[in-house]
Amino acid sequence: MADGARDPSDSPEEVGGEPCDLPEAPEEARREPWVLGKIHRKVDAMERMRGITRYTDDLKLPGMLHARILRSPHAHAKILGIDASAALAMPGVFGVVTGQDFKIPYGIIPWTPDENALAVDKVCHVGDGVACVAAVDEDTAIAACRAIKVEYEPLRAFFDPEEALKSRDKALTINPYSRKGNLSKHVRLEFGDVDGLLDGSDVVIEGEYFFEGTTHGAIEPHCAVALVEPNGILTVWSATQVSHYLHRELAKVLQLPPHRIRVIQPPLGGAFGGKSEPFDLEFCVAKLALQTGRPVKLLYTREEVFYSHRGRHPMKMRYRTGFRRDGTITAVDAKTILDGGAYSSFGLVTTYYSGQLLCAPYNFQAYRFDSTRAYTNKPACGPKRGHGSVQPRFAIEIQLDKAAVALGIDPIELRRQNDIGPGTRTVNEFKVGSNGFQECLTRVEDASGWKTRRPALPYGQGLGIAGSTYISGTNYPIYPNEMPQAAVQICLDRSGRARIFSGANDIGQGSNTMLAVIVAEELGIPLDDIRVLSADTDLCPVDLGAYSSRITLMVGNACLEAAQRLRRKVCESVARRWQVPRRRVVLAGRMAIDGQDPDRHVSSAQAFQWAEADHGLLGEVGSYNTPKDRHGDYRGGTIGASPAYSFTAHLAEVEVDAETGVVVVKKIWVAHDCGKALSRRIVEGQIEGSTYMGFGEALMEEHVVDPAHGGVHAGPSLLDYRMPTFTDTPEIAAMIVEAGDENGPYGAKEAGEGPLHSSIPAIANAIYDAVGIRLDRIPFSPPRVLAALRERAAREARGELPPHKPGPAPQGGAA
Amino acid sequence: MSGAAALLTLRVNGDPVEVAAPPHWTLLEVLRYRLDLIGSKQGCDKGDCGACTVQIDGVPALACLTLAINAQGRSVTTVEALGQGPVHPLLDAFDRHNAAQCGFCTPGILMAAEALLRERRAPVSRSEAATALAGNLCRCTGYTKILDAVVDASEVLSRGTGATAGEPEGGAHG
Amino acid sequence: MLRLPQFEVVAPSTVDGVVEALKVPGARLIAGGTDLLPNLKHHLDRPPRLVTLAQVSALRGIARDDDAKVLRLGARVTLRELSEHPEVRALFPSLAHAAGHVASPTIRNMATLGGNVNLDTRCRYVNQTELWRQGIGGGCYKSEGDVCHVVPGGKNCVAAMSSDNVPVLITLGATIHLVGPEGARALAMADYYHADGLRHTHARDGELTAELRVPYPEGPRRCEYVKWSVRNSIDYPLVSVALRFDLEADDPRSAITGAHVVVGVLGARPRIVGKLEGALGKALADPAVAKLVSEAAYAQCKPLPNVPYDPAYRREMIRVYTRRAIERMAAE
Repeated sequence: MADGARDPSDSPEEVGGEPCDLPEAPEEARREPWVLGKIHRKVDAMERMRGITRYTDDLKLPGMLHARILRSPHAHAKILGIDASAALAMPGVFGVVTGQDFKIPYGIIPWTPDENALAVDKVCHVGDGVACVAAVDEDTAIAACRAIKVEYEPLRAFFDPEEALKSRDKALTINPYSRKGNLSKHVRLEFGDVDGLLDGSDVVIEGEYFFEGTTHGAIEPHCAVALVEPNGILTVWSATQVSHYLHRELAKVLQLPPHRIRVIQPPLGGAFGGKSEPFDLEFCVAKLALQTGRPVKLLYTREEVFYSHRGRHPMKMRYRTGFRRDGTITAVDAKTILDGGAYSSFGLVTTYYSGQLLCAPYNFQAYRFDSTRAYTNKPACGPKRGHGSVQPRFAIEIQLDKAAVALGIDPIELRRQNDIGPGTRTVNEFKVGSNGFQECLTRVEDASGWKTRRPALPYGQGLGIAGSTYISGTNYPIYPNEMPQAAVQICLDRSGRARIFSGANDIGQGSNTMLAVIVAEELGIPLDDIRVLSADTDLCPVDLGAYSSRITLMVGNACLEAAQRLRRKVCESVARRWQVPRRRVVLAGRMAIDGQDPDRHVSSAQAFQWAEADHGLLGEVGSYNTPKDRHGDYRGGTIGASPAYSFTAHLAEVEVDAETGVVVVKKIWVAHDCGKALSRRIVEGQIEGSTYMGFGEALMEEHVVDPAHGGVHAGPSLLDYRMPTFTDTPEIAAMIVEAGDENGPYGAKEAGEGPLHSSIPAIANAIYDAVGIRLDRIPFSPPRVLAALRERAAREARGELPPHKPGPAPQGGAA
Repeated sequence: MSGAAALLTLRVNGDPVEVAAPPHWTLLEVLRYRLDLIGSKQGCDKGDCGACTVQIDGVPALACLTLAINAQGRSVTTVEALGQGPVHPLLDAFDRHNAAQCGFCTPGILMAAEALLRERRAPVSRSEAATALAGNLCRCTGYTKILDAVVDASEVLSRGTGATAGEPEGGAHG
Repeated sequence: MLRLPQFEVVAPSTVDGVVEALKVPGARLIAGGTDLLPNLKHHLDRPPRLVTLAQVSALRGIARDDDAKVLRLGARVTLRELSEHPEVRALFPSLAHAAGHVASPTIRNMATLGGNVNLDTRCRYVNQTELWRQGIGGGCYKSEGDVCHVVPGGKNCVAAMSSDNVPVLITLGATIHLVGPEGARALAMADYYHADGLRHTHARDGELTAELRVPYPEGPRRCEYVKWSVRNSIDYPLVSVALRFDLEADDPRSAITGAHVVVGVLGARPRIVGKLEGALGKALADPAVAKLVSEAAYAQCKPLPNVPYDPAYRREMIRVYTRRAIERMAAE
C-alpha cells in the first residue's frame, strides 16, 4: 500500500482481535478472526484515489503508435472492396490491417467461433470494425481512416429477432459462420409433467414480458496496448476481465504459440461483464505491433464501447406459472426469445442460463423452458452482471406477485412458502447447499416495516418484494479441461511479508483485497504486509477470469489452501523452537504467539525466517477444482450448476405520480446471503452497486437501435444512455446474511451479481402496490407508466376493476 | 499531425508549468499525455460523466471540455495534489468506507467533493453532497459509500482533526 | 477519444479585440465550451479559428443599473454565479432557479450566460458522431445532409432550442446586447430567436453577446420555471416552461395584471404562449387561471420527435407542469 495509508488495525472498529480464550483444537489452535469478516481498507484503493495507478490508457511506451478502427455505417452489408492505399501513403501512417489479416474466427465460447477481429466479407451491425490504422498520433489515424475507401453492398437488415428467424433467404443470414440461418441457439428442456401439473393447478398465471437491452456502462472505455520485444515476445496490456481467454484467442487468431504471448490486465476501471471476452482492439494492436515493430495503443471512444456492447440480451418471455390454492407453485412453463445481435458472444450459455438458473429459490415441481436466441443486425449481446437470469427473474417475480394477488396471500409469505430450502436438489437436478433465503426475506420485511406500513400506504405509494438466487461460479470451465479452475501461488519473505500471485482479474470488485484478507487471516499479518500481483500471464498461475461470480469461491479456496500450507510450515518452525506442540502456535497481530502463554511471542518476520531456515524458500501453491456432483445428468445439465448459490431479497418503496407517470424509488432494502462476508464493506458495496444497476435498468436505461434510421444506436453516449446520477439513486439499505456454504472459503459465496436481479421486479411490484398497474416491460418510463395508468382507469370506468386503493381517487391525466 | 503548438504557462498543482500543446488539445489531453498526470480520467469524451473533473482556480471543471489554451495563466489542480503529503481526510474517508471500487470515477469525484467541503467548511448532509456531485457518474458503488465518505470527511474536516481522521498518527505498520 | 478538429485559437483581451478576431470567416467564439466543444468533437462544424473569451476581463459582472432599472448580467457570468447571486435570487428567482438546474454542477461552473442564450439547437439526429450520421444516410440539414429526419419531407431544420434560461429571460422581458463590427445593438429576448434550427438567433456574423439586461420587477409578481428531464442532473430538458404573473398586490389572491408563459424544447424558437388575456383580472389562485393557461400552453405547443421521449407525452406534460406551477405559485 502506498505511503501514508494506514493499517486497518489502527482503528478500534477495524481491529483484528488479540488472541484470547484459545480453545484446544485437534489440529492447531484456532482463535477469533484476526481480519476476516471485518472492514478493510482495500489493498489498492489508495493508489487509485491518488491518481497514480496506471490503468491501460495511462501506459505510455517509447515510440508508441496510436490506432483507430474504421467502422461500418451500415447495419448489414457485403464488403465489395477496401482500398487503403491512400491511407497508407499518408505521412505518419505506419500500418493498416483489415479483415483479410484476421481470417481465423474466434469466439469466447469454443463451440461458437463466429466473429473475426475485423469484418472479412460483410458487416453485421452499425459500428462493426472494418479496418484499423496505426499512426503517429490519433489525429493522423483518424484522418487515415477517413482516407480508406470501402465499397459496400447494403443488405436487408433485421432488427427484430422473430423476423430474423423467419428469414429463409441464405443471402440474408446475418452471421457469416452460422449454419442455421439466423438461429443462434435453441434450448428446450423439460423436467417433470409440466402440462399435467398446470392442468391440475388451481390458478395458472399467464404473462408476457419484455426485458429491453441494457449495457454495462463501465466508466473506463476499453483500451489495449501491444508491444513486441526484440526476442519476438508479444505483450498485450488490456482492460479485460478475462486475461486467460484473451491469451488463448490471441494465440489462435494470430497463430502464435501461447508461450510467445504475455497478457497483462492493468488495474481496471469497471467491467460488469462488458470486458469478458476478446474484442477487435486487442487483435488489432497486437497485429499492428507485430507488423510495425512499434508499440501500439488503441483506446475506444465511448461510442465504440456501445458498439462493442455484449450487454444484456433483450428477451421476450412468455410465462405460465401454476399454483395450488394454498400458494404452492406447481409448474412453470417458459418460452423465451433472445435478441442476440450479430455474434454469439456468450450466447450459447446465455440461452441455457435463461432457463437453467431459475429453479431456485422457489421449488418448482415441474419446469419447462424453451429459449431461442436469434442473430440480429445489432451489436452483439453477451453477459452483463447477472448473466442470463436477470431477465427471466423479472418475469418470475412478477408472476409470483400476480399470484399473490389472485390467491390473496401476502407476497412475502408466498415466497417463504415456496422456498426450496438448504441441502436439496432443484427440479433441474442442481444440488443446492446452503440457503439463507428465508432470512433474507425476514430481514427486508422487518427493516421496511412491511407488515404495518404496506397496508397503510395511500394511493401512489407502495412496497414491493422480489427474491432471487445466483451462482458462485460455474462448475465447468468454458473450454473443457481437467485442470484446476483456480490456482494461487504465495511466497513469504524474510521481512514478514507475503506476495500473492493470482491470475484473477480485479475489476474493481475488490478481489485482490479478498485474497489479501485470506492470507492475512491465515498468517496473522496485516493487509499492508501483503502484495497481490494479479492477472499477468507471465507471472501468475492461470485463472479463468472475473465472470460468473466465481472469484471469491474458487480463487478464494485456492488461496486458502496455499495459505494454510504456509501457516502450517510457519507454526511448525515456531513450535519447534519453543518446543511446544504446533497447535499452540497462533499467528495474529503480526506475531507468532504461544496460545497458552501469550507473553511468549515473536514477530511474523522472525517466524517466517525460522520457517525459511527449516524449509527453504517459503512458497506454496493452492488449487481449486469444482465438486462434480452438483449438476444434472442430461445434455446441458452442467450449464448453470455451481458449487454454491447466493440468495437475495429486495424490497422497494416507490412513489408514483399518477398524473405524470414519474416513478420515484424512495428506498430499497436488500438482504443478500453471501455465505460469509470476508470483508464487510466490500460486500455491502457489491450489494449496493448491484441494486443501483438494477434500479437504472428498471427506470431509465435502454440499449436499443433505431430500425427506422438504418439501425443506428439510439444514442451511443453517456448523455443519451442515461445512467442514474447521485441525485436519482434511491437510498439503499444493504444487509448481509451469512448462511455459510461448505464449498466456499470460510463459507463464502458470491455477492457481486445476485443482488442485481430482484432489484428490478421489486420496483415493478412496488409500482403495482402503489397504483395497481403491471409493468411487464422495462424501463418503467413515465410515458409507459402513464399509459398503463390510463388503461387501468378506463377499465375501472367500465367497471372491470375496482379502485386500486381506498383514499383519494387517482388524478386524471388532463389538467 | 497538429497545428502549430502553443506554449502554455500555467500552474499545475502549485507548480509553474510550461508546456507546448496544439491549439485543439483539451486540458485533459495536456494533463494526461503531456504532463503524465494520469489521475484525471477520460470516460465519455464530451462532458457527460465527470471522470475528468479537475479544479481551475479552485472551481471544479471538466478538463475534457476545456481547451488547454483556456488554462493559460490559471491554476489547475488535479487529484494528484490531494495525494501529496499527509493523507487528505477525503482520501482517508474514501479508503475507510471503501468508496472507491474500480476507482476510475474517483479522482473526478474527489475533486468535486474537495471543492464542496472547502467552500462549506462545515459538515454536509447526504443530499447536499449528492447535489454537489451530480455531475459525476459512478457505475460501481450505487453512490452509497461515496456519500458516507463525503459526509464523514466533512465532519472530520470541520472538527479540525486533520488528516488522521481520528485514528492514531501514522500507521503502526505503514 | 473523440478528437477536436484542428483550428487556431486566438485569445484577445478586449471586446474590441474579440470583434476584430471574429472577422475571419467561420470563426467561432468560445467561452465555457460546454456546448461548442461537444459539437466540434462531433464535427458539426470545422471553424478555422476559435476566439476565446478566456483573457477578456470584461463581461463578467452582475451589476444594478438603478437609473435604467435593470440588472445587467455580463455574458461571461457562469450559470453557477448567476444561480447563486443574491440580486438575481432576490429579483429574479425563476432565473436563478433555471440557471441552477442546467445540466450538472460542473457544467454550471463552466457554462456562461452568453453561451447558454446562444446554445446551439439540438436534435437527436444531429448531436451524434460523424459515423452515426453516416448511419442514418449522411446527416441532415444541420450537418452534412439535405433532409430532415424529424419531419420527413420537411424543408427547414426544427432542431430544438434547449436552453433552460431562455424561456425565463423572455418572460422577464430581458434584452440581449450584442457587439459587432457595426457597433452595439440590443434586441428583446422575445425577438432574438427565429424558427430555423440552422441559425436560430438574430445575431449577425461576427457579433458577440455582451450582456443581458433584465428589468426590475415593476410590481408584485410570481415567477416560476419548471422542467422535466429523465435524470435529475446532466440531462437537457425535455419539457421546459417559464411563467410570470404580474399581480395587483403581493398576494396570489389578487388580480393578475400581466401573464407571460414561454415554452422551450419545441422547435428552434421558444414558444411565447398567447391568448392569455382571459387570465387577466382573475386571481392567480383562481383554479380557472391554472386551467386556462395550461390549456393554452397545451393547445399552442406541439413538441416534435427531435429529442427523445414521445412528443404526445411531452405535450401533455407541458399542460401538467404548467398547471402545477401555477397551483404552486397560488399556494405560496
